[in-house]
Amino acid sequence: MKPFLSILFLLVLAWAGNAQPATGSLLIKNGTVLTVTKGTFENTDVLVVDGKIKQIGKNIRTPQGVTEIDATGKFVMPGILDAHSHIALDVVNEATRPVTSDVWVGDALDPLDISIYRALAGGVTTIHAMHGSANAIGGECETIKLRYGTYDPEDLRMQGAPRTIKFALGENPMRSHGEGNGIVPRTRMGVEQVIRRAFSEAQEYMAAKDKYNAVKATDPTALPPTFNRRMETLAEILKGNIIIHCHSYRADEILMLMNVCRDYGVKRLCFQHTNEGFKVAPELAAFGAGASVFADWWAYKFEVYYSTAYNAAIMTKNGVVTSINSDSEELIRHLYHEAAKTQRYGGLTDDEALALITINSAKQLGIDQRVGSLEVGKDGDVAIFNAHPLSVYAIPMMTIVDGIVRFDRAKDADDQRMQVDPEKAETAFFLAQEHKNADHCLEDAFDFANELFGFERE
Amino acid sequence: MKKALCLLLAWVCLGIQISRAQGGTEEMTPVTHTYALKNVTIIQKPGQVIQKGIVVVKNGLIHAVGPNVAIPANAKVIEGDSMFVYAGFIDGLSQTGIPRPEPAQAGSGRGGQQQRPQGVERGEPSYETAGIMPQQTVREALKPGDRSIDDMRKLGFTAAQVVPNGRMLPGNGSLIMLGSGKTADDYIVKENTSLVATLTTSPGVYPATQIGVISRFEELYRQAQQLQAHTKAYAANPAGMVRPTSDRVLEAFFPVLDGKQPVYFLAPDVKSTARALALQKELGFQMIIAGVRQGWPLADQMKALNKPTFLSLDLPKAKKEDAKPAAAAGGARGGNRPGAEAAPKAEENAKPAEEAKPKDPEMEALEARRAAEMALYEGQAAAMTTKSIPFAFSAMNAKPAEIRENLRRMIKAGLTEDQALAALTTTPANIFGVSAMMGSVEKGKMANLVVTDQPYFNEKSNVRYVFVDGMMYEYEVKAAPKGNPNGSAKVGGRWSYNIAVPGQEAAGVFNFKDEGGNISGTWTSTTMPGENNMAAVTLKGNNLTFSSSIDAGGQSMTLEFDLVFEGNNFSGKVNVGSFGTFDVEGSRLGDPKN
Repeated sequence: MKPFLSILFLLVLAWAGNAQPATGSLLIKNGTVLTVTKGTFENTDVLVVDGKIKQIGKNIRTPQGVTEIDATGKFVMPGILDAHSHIALDVVNEATRPVTSDVWVGDALDPLDISIYRALAGGVTTIHAMHGSANAIGGECETIKLRYGTYDPEDLRMQGAPRTIKFALGENPMRSHGEGNGIVPRTRMGVEQVIRRAFSEAQEYMAAKDKYNAVKATDPTALPPTFNRRMETLAEILKGNIIIHCHSYRADEILMLMNVCRDYGVKRLCFQHTNEGFKVAPELAAFGAGASVFADWWAYKFEVYYSTAYNAAIMTKNGVVTSINSDSEELIRHLYHEAAKTQRYGGLTDDEALALITINSAKQLGIDQRVGSLEVGKDGDVAIFNAHPLSVYAIPMMTIVDGIVRFDRAKDADDQRMQVDPEKAETAFFLAQEHKNADHCLEDAFDFANELFGFERE
Repeated sequence: MKKALCLLLAWVCLGIQISRAQGGTEEMTPVTHTYALKNVTIIQKPGQVIQKGIVVVKNGLIHAVGPNVAIPANAKVIEGDSMFVYAGFIDGLSQTGIPRPEPAQAGSGRGGQQQRPQGVERGEPSYETAGIMPQQTVREALKPGDRSIDDMRKLGFTAAQVVPNGRMLPGNGSLIMLGSGKTADDYIVKENTSLVATLTTSPGVYPATQIGVISRFEELYRQAQQLQAHTKAYAANPAGMVRPTSDRVLEAFFPVLDGKQPVYFLAPDVKSTARALALQKELGFQMIIAGVRQGWPLADQMKALNKPTFLSLDLPKAKKEDAKPAAAAGGARGGNRPGAEAAPKAEENAKPAEEAKPKDPEMEALEARRAAEMALYEGQAAAMTTKSIPFAFSAMNAKPAEIRENLRRMIKAGLTEDQALAALTTTPANIFGVSAMMGSVEKGKMANLVVTDQPYFNEKSNVRYVFVDGMMYEYEVKAAPKGNPNGSAKVGGRWSYNIAVPGQEAAGVFNFKDEGGNISGTWTSTTMPGENNMAAVTLKGNNLTFSSSIDAGGQSMTLEFDLVFEGNNFSGKVNVGSFGTFDVEGSRLGDPKN
């Protein structure tokens, strides 16, 4: 028994010690290739070398040492992106004040979350791990790749992806702070004021910093403004270096935030949920704002009653960059079904429907040059299905990230957890419910939010 | 009735006195401060042993060590035949000597809700409310004579780096002696050895989450840099410059900014280790990761820090059944799980099943995974050695009663005894820069010694003497009381009991019912609600045994009592599974006739 465990141990060490996220090479042969952006090709191969798509074509010769994957009769599509998720995070809400642009969920990534594997089993390769919606201006989010199997959060990050931040309008920030704590914002007007005030303060902060930088060489008595992380982040939003992803439902407040952004010169904006986006689709398109929606989920709170399953299709037809997201560790496992609903409700084409969970999500996250379609030069992120992914019979067979197979249905074991508690007999099933509370320090965060505000994490 | 109550009270008071007397024998001034340990095996430091040697302690120092040294005339000679002498152990980071905070203060979540600041203050709490107290010192927080000091000393620890209570920034660490003193000052050897940081959140106020804690740490660090630059510039030439405002919190960072003090980051699991590493990478301070329980997945990154680390003496609880082989059912071989291909195979442990009970294959697979995971925890110390990461130990969050057993488990998992000893003595002495003072049994060093009746890491060995700074503490080894099969005892009635669990209060009442020799009973504890039933109560002569299963946080725990009764008193042992065996004693409450 002992030699064995030490071998296991050494292997784990060797494998976890990589400084850079690993990449792989493989050739996916003879599948129906759905590029999403460049058409669909039957009996076609996709060659991935060192994590990048090198070639897409027929009868590609297998380079030496490259693993072949037979995709005969199967459908090969780009790895699915989820523009709104909270998996792989130990912390979602720092709900203690209306502006928390200083915090970043990337500081609390959870590479051990079993939901990573489960999402891979739904063909997902990249997610937007978001801060919650308790605050008008929440924390920064993190775009991660589902490199299941690592203990090191650094390995999950999608290096080079633009910074993004969560904003929230409507009931959640009103309840968290106005009703829950007696401070602004208690109303939708208040939410607007919180955002305007934060932007204005950030302008002042930037001006003070610029002034200091201009004179510091010549004036030894000059002092910088006191370092303030909230302001530092807001300043980057104003400079155009961070994309706002805003939790929103009602058309009036969607228009409101676009007006606020116009006033402050902020152009990179994507609405999340966007439940009444169909009412203001032309305005969204004119602004260039993205919209990420549920396929057909609503009525879970008062501001989400005026809804339609045609939302995504209407916005798509109006030229809004639209995506369908999960915001859930369950929906994330069948986003392809969610996308397919737009064919029933709105008659979108295959490519239009698939774009909702691939290239459009990539555009909203500012990573469409690297992922979201099968094109030469892009990352080797691929999902292989046994049937057309928009078919109700589709089953994901294999999911590849950076040329490495991270999910293989043929090798799917009963227990895919990264680690088990040596003290307690926890089955894999219960882990999903329990694990968020595993760390005592984090309990408070969730207790706090749930207890005081009674809202979920969307 | 009244009389009975008075009696009861009297007994309770007596009970308290008895328990006090056990801990306080060191209060009397010894006749001499010169000692000679004769005929002892001296482990001077790992790998350096003197057989049948003499250690002379004088004026708080090791006066002489060797096979043949002169024993001063005024020395108290301890005949150490077959005894072993080690350098006193050094605990790398703990809260020994720091009283625990009141439960209300430490309470998280629901309990503390009422005290939460409301309104704007929740997002902008004071430093104190937010758990930001890096200026706190051990000198202010240490309680002389705190019971935890004795608990650790009994195990052979003579020095420890300790830190005040708190949350994200609890304060400055100081190296203290685990001896005796009237004021906190008496204990301190070296002050401000570290700035301690944790990822502990502040319930209900900012930072209420770890992302808040990490952000706040970075903000404070940068503000400290600003303040330091400002302070220096102002000191050089104040003319025309706004005066810097003093800020104790930010100023506590200055030694860290100057590279004169490391940040000790408490990282009890792999994720907090990763978070500490990321923060260090961002800001570049000198960091020592401490209280590491699960460092192996990130060993390479830890090694790259080029700093020693402090491994936790707290291991996951061992299940007694774990002794049986970790047979792996097929399901344990997780196909997509990295490293899974090396999971134990069934044939390695192919022992015939003892019982023919049908077993749930899913549970079997889970048990195998748990055993493999446990092996990783136990093997951490050995793995760090393989990786050449220097380490000492931290007793933070470890229960004193489990520390020796945990050390043995690490040794069983591949750590050598010399390596374990180095991690308890020479390595921490080196890390704290006190090698010239302590860490080995050498002439001229402080007389910090552990004397055991068998090699320290043997399961049956007992610590007999501990010297701290030349002060001797003697520990009696209580022989298990022997029952007399021909004796007799009347056990019916109520008895108070006291279990000697280090660091914990364990007391209550046994209530035996004697129905014509048929004995049954219940018991209560002052720390648990409700009554517990006794099972298999057997009286042979004056030797009473019984067992009882209790629910300890969802886990069933069986206590096996073995008691010997003499008149109105009893003493004995209780075995609490993997927690170990503890002494029990007690006495009759009230009139035996009732």
